[in-house]
Amino acid sequence: MSNERFFDLAMKVIAHQAADVERAELDAMLGSQPELRAEFARLETDARMTKDALPMMDAMEATAGEFPVYARERLQTKVRQTLGRPAAKQEPDRSVAWGWRRILGLTVATAVVLFVALPIFRAPGGPVIEVAMLDTVGTVRGSDTNETEIIKQQWKNSTFQSFDKTGRLENWETNWPEGNKVTAKVVYDRAVGEVRVSLHGLEKPQQRTFVIERDLAATIQEANAFIQEHTKH
Amino acid sequence: MNPPDLQALKLGDESAWDAAFNWLWPTVFAVAQLKLQPFLPDEVEDMAIEALEELVAKVRSVNSVEELKPLVASIAHNRSVSLLRNRFAKKRGAGKTESLDLPADDRKPKDEPAPGDSPLDSLAEKELAARLKKSLTELKPPQGEILSDFFLHGLRYEEIAKKRGVAVGSVGVYLKRGLEAMRRVWRQDENS
Repeated sequence: MSNERFFDLAMKVIAHQAADVERAELDAMLGSQPELRAEFARLETDARMTKDALPMMDAMEATAGEFPVYARERLQTKVRQTLGRPAAKQEPDRSVAWGWRRILGLTVATAVVLFVALPIFRAPGGPVIEVAMLDTVGTVRGSDTNETEIIKQQWKNSTFQSFDKTGRLENWETNWPEGNKVTAKVVYDRAVGEVRVSLHGLEKPQQRTFVIERDLAATIQEANAFIQEHTKH
Repeated sequence: MNPPDLQALKLGDESAWDAAFNWLWPTVFAVAQLKLQPFLPDEVEDMAIEALEELVAKVRSVNSVEELKPLVASIAHNRSVSLLRNRFAKKRGAGKTESLDLPADDRKPKDEPAPGDSPLDSLAEKELAARLKKSLTELKPPQGEILSDFFLHGLRYEEIAKKRGVAVGSVGVYLKRGLEAMRRVWRQDENS
């Protein structure tokens, strides 16, 4: 009886592929050569570990599946928070802002000059506005795209994301860009019928909820007015 | 799809990370799916995203771009195992640990874990990543394919021989060499 025969029989038994006659042959081997029992046990362990490891190894060579677009902002925010921005991509107006802060502390006369000049040096377009919609029942993907258009029309240059799970939205809501740039996050909660606005980067963070009483367009105008009011200087 | 530029990743380059997320997604999703699909299918995508987030935090400790996939796979694996343990511990009462891979015993529903951990579940993230990377180089073609055919897909020697274009008598040889390679990598503690 060769080692090869023992190995092949052991493999078949372990993989539940052995015929009765093959199982009997293996049992006879184990009975007549007790030292093979340890080898059989070792092969069983190897086989189990291999069955666990192979799918992980296959996964590393997987190519199917597309990265979901909605996750990009969350992950890029993590990149910015953890690794910072590359020097070439830093916002250009920060040093200017610091320069003006120093000047602000000098004299009353300078302050008057600054009062006139400051708007010129402020970042263009006011606060960063990020908008998201929560639609837990999935109607956003259906025929009712009008609401999405209303929101996009109001904040044309803003990022817009749609979420179908509260957990993902919460994660988005709590991920603020690094630095002290004033940022507004607007959430349209479709099921609840409200628009929430959170402002970050102000001396004191602001938050307000607008219940949709008439229509969405009117409510987001109220929300926008709230943002403008609290971010004007 | 080409691997991303590791240096650019470490500097936080946005476009390099976009490329990395696309490149890593199939792997991290496949691992999360492997562990969570039978029990918590709704958590698969979130888990994959969380694993990528954790990778961002660890990228500075990576020495070569080839380490990224094994590392993110290990992160997804270990996070998934932790999640499953927490969920099942809550479900059955605190203090009990459960296997995430073995079939349940007769008293439990077949889709729930049973006692006895998978050998992989006890490995720390870096160790798991290192062994995964090593496995890919240790298994010479067609050893890996034949191991998968036999253990994962349940093919018989004759079917494997036909599929892979090898002699039936060679299938056992490939299986034996493949198992030995796996043993060297995954049971190195016992071998040393």
